[in-house]
Amino acid sequence: MTDELQLINAAKAGSADAFADLVLCYRIRLLRFLLTRCASYADAEDALQDTLMAAYRYINSYDPRWRFSTWIYRIAIRNAQKIRSENVVEFGDLGDEECDPMLLCIKASETSNLWLSARRVLNDDVFTATWLRYAEDMSISDISRALDRSDSWTKVNLLRARKALDIEMNKENNGNEAYG
Amino acid sequence: MDKLAEKLKADAAVIDVQISDELDRRIAASLQGIEPERPAEASPRPRPAVFWWASSLSGVAAALAVIAIVNSQSPTVEPPVAVAETSPVAEILTPVIDWKTESAMLTQPLQRELEDLKSDIKKAEEKVKQDIGL
Repeated sequence: MTDELQLINAAKAGSADAFADLVLCYRIRLLRFLLTRCASYADAEDALQDTLMAAYRYINSYDPRWRFSTWIYRIAIRNAQKIRSENVVEFGDLGDEECDPMLLCIKASETSNLWLSARRVLNDDVFTATWLRYAEDMSISDISRALDRSDSWTKVNLLRARKALDIEMNKENNGNEAYG
Repeated sequence: MDKLAEKLKADAAVIDVQISDELDRRIAASLQGIEPERPAEASPRPRPAVFWWASSLSGVAAALAVIAIVNSQSPTVEPPVAVAETSPVAEILTPVIDWKTESAMLTQPLQRELEDLKSDIKKAEEKVKQDIGL
């Protein structure tokens, strides 16, 4: 029995500490993902808290045939959608880019981050599929489960996303060369 | 891994996030405050498909049997109502009796009324006898 499964079983029995250990390695990854989906850092933190609470509350509904990461991302996606619908903020409409939490977190390192372009050119579900594929290394079937979509939808949209991002990446490279 | 995938992975990793102590405390406190929900009780075991076929077939058979029994019973043929033959001549020859009847006013006890009626009949008989000369 793996450590993760042992922690899941302990959490199912009502151990909050076991659940806290279980999600310890997911918290940063989830927060990073939620940051790309929420309008503010505080919203992303709230979404993370809600996600972990919901995951613990409904841990007994977790089916071990799924990967735990798929299951918890599924909850996170729903929470992000819920928070976004409550705040009714579209990223494309942000008047002040300084408020963009993702941009703030990138500025410390670099600004030519392809995920900023991805968020601009891809719709929500395609962005999420792309994130789960390339940032989380999820399989096509896991992404489909997390997004409640068919495998063919995931494959087709990942392919389209790649094409769109290839164009964006070339634009960035050409821009850098022009200025360089 | 191709160039695009490498770039996306690297760009995701540089999004700098941290779990603050305050968020950590909030999460810990919220987890301590809730308990996992027990799974709902298992629903009754579904019956095998054969059961539904059997029940459907027996229902159809019963319905057919009822229909067959109802249709096999010969309908009770009522004898035709005999129509009395009336002769128009008889109707003409039959005298029409004009009964002068009065309804009895029963104001006395029944026994008394009966006695009165009997005496009236007797008086009427005597009067008839007198009239015909007996």
